Amino acid sequence: MGALLFIPLVPALAWLTWAALRHAVPLSYNWRSLWQRRTATLSTALAIAVVVAIFVVVLSLSQGLSRAFVTSGRSDQALVLRANARVELNSSLERDQARIIKGDPRLVHDAWGPLASAECYVVVMLDRADGSGAANVALRGLEPAGVRMRSQVRLIRGRWFNPGLPELVVPARLAGRFQGLDLGRTLAFNGRRWTVVGTFEAQGSAFDSELWTDVDQVMQSRKRDAYSSMLVRLAAPDRITGFTRAMDADKRLKLETRREVDYYADQTEAGKPIQYLGNLITVILTLGAIFAAMNTMYSAVAGRTAEIGTLRALGFRRVEILASFQWEALMLCGLGGVAGAVLALGFNGIQTSTVNFQTFSDVSFAFNVTPGLMAQGVAFSILMGLAGGFLPAWRASRIPVTEAMKS
Amino acid sequence: MRFLHLILRSLLRSRRRTLLTILSLAVSVFLVAVLQGILGTLDGFAHNPDASSRVAVRHKTSLANLLPLRYEDWIRQQPEVDAVIAMQWFGGVYQDPRNFFANFAVEPEFLTRIFKEEIGTYSESGFRTFVKDRNACVVGQALADKYGWKVGTVVPLKGTIFPINPRLTVRGIYHSKRNADEMALYFHYKLLEEGVPRMKGKVGAFWVRVRNPNDVPRLIERIDHQYRDALEPTLSETENAFQLEFLKMLGDYATMIHTITAAVLFAILIVTASTMAMTVRERTTEIAVLRAMGFRGGQVLGLLMAEGVLLAALGGLLGVGLATLAAGFLRHSAGSLIPWLSDFTLPADTLLFCLHATVAVGVLSTFLPAYQAIRRPIVEGLRAL
Repeated sequence: MGALLFIPLVPALAWLTWAALRHAVPLSYNWRSLWQRRTATLSTALAIAVVVAIFVVVLSLSQGLSRAFVTSGRSDQALVLRANARVELNSSLERDQARIIKGDPRLVHDAWGPLASAECYVVVMLDRADGSGAANVALRGLEPAGVRMRSQVRLIRGRWFNPGLPELVVPARLAGRFQGLDLGRTLAFNGRRWTVVGTFEAQGSAFDSELWTDVDQVMQSRKRDAYSSMLVRLAAPDRITGFTRAMDADKRLKLETRREVDYYADQTEAGKPIQYLGNLITVILTLGAIFAAMNTMYSAVAGRTAEIGTLRALGFRRVEILASFQWEALMLCGLGGVAGAVLALGFNGIQTSTVNFQTFSDVSFAFNVTPGLMAQGVAFSILMGLAGGFLPAWRASRIPVTEAMKS
Repeated sequence: MRFLHLILRSLLRSRRRTLLTILSLAVSVFLVAVLQGILGTLDGFAHNPDASSRVAVRHKTSLANLLPLRYEDWIRQQPEVDAVIAMQWFGGVYQDPRNFFANFAVEPEFLTRIFKEEIGTYSESGFRTFVKDRNACVVGQALADKYGWKVGTVVPLKGTIFPINPRLTVRGIYHSKRNADEMALYFHYKLLEEGVPRMKGKVGAFWVRVRNPNDVPRLIERIDHQYRDALEPTLSETENAFQLEFLKMLGDYATMIHTITAAVLFAILIVTASTMAMTVRERTTEIAVLRAMGFRGGQVLGLLMAEGVLLAALGGLLGVGLATLAAGFLRHSAGSLIPWLSDFTLPADTLLFCLHATVAVGVLSTFLPAYQAIRRPIVEGLRAL
């Protein structure tokens, strides 16, 4: 959607480039003029830098959040849930059903057996590290195959949990945000003491917000006899349709099969409020910046009436004057845009969190300032330059030569 | 005041510049007002005076764990307690998952007593029918309006958390002060308990109304102490604390909003300062003339400052005015994304803050250029004449 916005930029920029290449007023003239009025130039550029920085930072927030979900799924894996459950937290899957699915010949096998993991997904309340209350954090019980199936996840310290013991492996990212998640510490919940035996890193995916343990431990401690869901791997992404059809046809199972990627893509809904806020802020601030740029450019034009007259007397045409001043506005705003994008880079990687409204649990993610976003920020500043510079440039090109020479 | 005319004249000297500066200020102030309004609205939910006598009791481990229904009897016997009901977030979907609204399974008898403030006005007979009819529900006016429900309409809900799909007849429609309170549906807990085996004798939370708000801390402590060593320990807190926890999970939106506010104010400060610098530079001669006529430096400074402050204040007023006008629109658009925002309002505090901030911007931005102007020797200024 962002890219669509810049389509009108292309012809305008093409025209300007053509105007600059075709002799015309040298760009160094604009550059020097900007330097001449450096206080005005710098303050306007700074204001634009602030606007662009806010734009990039807010978008990097929603980018970071979508990244958490988009990088979670694998295209050759499918998630089996209770029909209508929509999320694992709400789903349940009986042991018999799990056995039937595991016996399906379409599943991929590795040295230890079928790549299928019956899992139990619940939430627990943990105290925040900064003492500001508690939050719901996801606890996922997995079978050993489940750990092997998440290729994003890498153990960085300690070891994996042992099946049959209340042991937790936690994301390194959460360790700083919640109490008691350091290696070797124990936590008490669900009537059991859980020992943290390892920390992992999941490349910013949704698993970076989950505590992992043995599935039977979760079920016993909750006195549950049903799993939440089952994750299965198939030989190729296009085999999922056939597998889904077989699942739907089996009268013993009343389940819903979803591609793992689709399942997580749906959860990016969690980023909607931030995106909405980001768009609101961007539209409003862009308007404000356009007005400010216009102001500066008008003043630049007004202060240079005699110069413009001279240029015209030298033989430069109106169109060329228009292009020249438009270029000056673009330089002014582009300068601000680049500065703003660089400023935003300072936020890259900062950890933050929000709630996934579908599971009411904490999602931790990082500001993700990508080169694409920075380019979008600069493009926005160019848009500001075009919009804010056109009217003043138009005015400059319309000043009658005689009048200009008189002043 | 004698010089008001002069100040206005100076502002109108370059109309386009004044207008552009005011517009630039106005949109920025508009943004600040809206962002601070969002913050204020969210905070309002965690500091709701109507909820001061209500306590939420739930499982200590998480909201998704269930408490035995029998706890209710013990809680009801406590001397401070006025009424208590069992409540379960049902999370049902109406037609499409995007149609999000709160729906709860509750014990109907004391519903209106617990939520006296929220379920404000309603038809007595409608609610009596609701209590008797197990397949009935009551809904808020705003929710009924949104989907065109009337008394007698059958509302099919699809369970997401629970594997049942109840078809509920609307028996009562209530009005409340806040829109968010009207975006809710309540139906019989019994329907849920009978339809879902694992819910037998279990519930997600109890909502307790205490006779005297001062007794709340004592009651909270007593309940949690009573069930401390139970298999299912409880966590009791005021409804406001409960709400705050949810809001906190939204993320550190407060810091984000404050940072953006500060950045925007900084940006308009430089924009205004730049405008005022331009104005002052253009008027070097004029200022010298004024001083040659006998105006003292302080007076000229005052005139220029007044001009800057007036400029900023005009921008601020326009921005605040726009924000007030846009509040209604925001309630609709943002409210569908974040339910809390369907009660978006701009508190007087926020508006005052914005005006103060803009006046401060006016003062700060004008001082330096104006001070420089009056420090310049008169002769130098007159030379340009």
